[in-house]
Amino acid sequence: MPDIENTETIARKLLPIIYVLDTSGSMEGDRIAAVNLAMSETMEVLKDVSKNNPSAELKIGVLKFDSGSQWITDSGFVFMEDFFWNDLKAGGLTDLGSALKELDDKMSRKKFLNSEVGYKVPVLIFMSDGQPTDDYKSALKKINASNKWFKASTKIAIAVGDDADTEVLKEIVGNSEAVIRVNDLETLKRLIKVASVTASMIGSKSRTDSDAQSEILNSIQQDAGVKLDKSDDVSPKPAPAPDPEPDTFDADDPWGDDKWD
Amino acid sequence: MAQFKPGTVLKTQLGLPVVIDSYIAGGGQGDVYKVTYEGTKKALKWYKTGVFKNPEAFRKNLENNVRKGAPDKSFLWPEAVALAGDGSGSFGYIMDLRPDSFKELTYFLCTSGGGGFKSFKAVVEAGIKIVSAFRLLHINGYSYQDMNSGNFFIDPDTGNVLICDNDNVAPNGTNTGIVGTPQYMAPEIVVGKATPSARTDEFSLAVVLFMLLFTGHPLEGAHWAVPCLTPDIEKALYGNNALFILDPGDSSNRPVKGVHNNVLRIWGFMPQYVKDIFIKAFSQEAIKDPNRRIKELDWLKVLVRFQSDIVRCPYCRNEIFVIGASSTKCDRCGRLYEVKNKLKLYEYSVTAAKNTRIYRCQLGICNAADALNPAAHVVAKNDNPDLLGLRNVSNTVVSASTPSGKVNQVKPGEIIPLKAGISVKVFDGSIDIQ
Repeated sequence: MPDIENTETIARKLLPIIYVLDTSGSMEGDRIAAVNLAMSETMEVLKDVSKNNPSAELKIGVLKFDSGSQWITDSGFVFMEDFFWNDLKAGGLTDLGSALKELDDKMSRKKFLNSEVGYKVPVLIFMSDGQPTDDYKSALKKINASNKWFKASTKIAIAVGDDADTEVLKEIVGNSEAVIRVNDLETLKRLIKVASVTASMIGSKSRTDSDAQSEILNSIQQDAGVKLDKSDDVSPKPAPAPDPEPDTFDADDPWGDDKWD
Repeated sequence: MAQFKPGTVLKTQLGLPVVIDSYIAGGGQGDVYKVTYEGTKKALKWYKTGVFKNPEAFRKNLENNVRKGAPDKSFLWPEAVALAGDGSGSFGYIMDLRPDSFKELTYFLCTSGGGGFKSFKAVVEAGIKIVSAFRLLHINGYSYQDMNSGNFFIDPDTGNVLICDNDNVAPNGTNTGIVGTPQYMAPEIVVGKATPSARTDEFSLAVVLFMLLFTGHPLEGAHWAVPCLTPDIEKALYGNNALFILDPGDSSNRPVKGVHNNVLRIWGFMPQYVKDIFIKAFSQEAIKDPNRRIKELDWLKVLVRFQSDIVRCPYCRNEIFVIGASSTKCDRCGRLYEVKNKLKLYEYSVTAAKNTRIYRCQLGICNAADALNPAAHVVAKNDNPDLLGLRNVSNTVVSASTPSGKVNQVKPGEIIPLKAGISVKVFDGSIDIQ
């Protein structure tokens, strides 16, 4: 009979939560301090949550951008239990395009997304307080055209302060509702925590009837007490950009293994 | 985050005070507190505002459940509805506290080594308790609607079960707004063609039992092991293309070596009748037709039989799954476990070993409500563990006839010696000692 002590933990998908954080000069001082505090607290909460998530194991990625961009998790996404937050310093430009190029490069089975068990749809959390200082447009066009991982990702953006360019963030996350503007640092901290914790439990909790992005947005409204900005957008949701590469799978291979780089 | 400070007083609908002691935990819909109510420590689940589309209807349903009472003692059932005194309309409900020895099914799934389960027998016992509780819930006309691994709390020593989150329990056919939890929802819900009901509960129950026994998911095989589980693939996997990983007619979704190791390891050890019921529960017919799902009575028959086929090796204490109630080799120490006596029942025989329990559903046709009425237990003599007897644990006098034709009346609690040739008439069936 099977020895019960040989039972392994249930097979779980990997769930990448990727933070793309603005560490430009304007973040210096209170703002970066608030982000650091929120991130280190959030990581402790996520450790608890991920231990008991029956459907996914969390992996964390952190990409910072200022003058250029750099992965904090530079050798790949890190299992939650092995991840510890190191405080970020702010200074330099806002090279969002460089960050998008990095995402495009590393969000690939050949790079950070290699695995035998495979992944759940990644969650991308963007945070910025300014305007891009490089050519983000061509980087965004490229990643949207060729990176299925990026396109499938659940995306949320946090716009910090009045100078944050919400239009750019809307272009990136593809949905105006998923850009949340915050002006005070307490709300920013709460937002980072609530968005992360909700993201980490996607697919393992009871649902009413909603997709992953609305799940995160609902809990942001309920738990972080943030009103979502729906006023400045007349059309409810921008039509998705036409796919240069169809998302459908080959009839022979409905499970579409090979379509993912 | 705790909304109430210790000492805060809320009131039930009848005006009884509920005093907050401490904050226990938070969840998606609300928070749980330890409270004092009618002089006893209880748990209070308190909902956040804005979580329900129709809070009035949800509260009415809770009140209805409180009034009707728990279908089985396994349910941590709502005992009273508590209200906020501030006119906000916020509410919650009171239930029993869960003892610390009980751990969430999620914990067992996410912890290697079985999460501390003492034995497979205890795992099967948990399965019996779960099925039995849902049998009573369904007999009472309810549907549970949102089964998942977070609802079940199990004592790993005994297999005893407590079931929480009974706030979505509603009369079958009434939907409280919940859709369910991914991985547990019936395929027709996943594809958006149905809302939760007793029939969809039956599918979810089969998933829970599979997870419990195999520490794996019945639909997650090769089709699951794709690079990225997109919403479309999930919909196919759990919905319109759902396929059992051990479907005898289609091997395209088999467990993947190195990934789904538990299922690959445990399945082979299972007696055929256990394999058969899972194959039937996840057959294409049962996946597609809600009326062809396995009923609780059928699960009970299989699980109580399986439980009596699990014995301890007298030499190395390993558990052995006895095959066909005949002597079986221990796969750890290699020695033979000798089946000295067996009990011939209505459809099959089981090993007569210490702790073997016989229920009404093993003795002949019965209805679901009576399925787990105990009939007989195999007991060992205090000063001689090799000397076994059959205790009458039914509530009636039974008759035992010896090979020579002598008939003895055996009162409840009395013991019949375990000797071949004796036949015991109990309920409408018989136990033949062989």
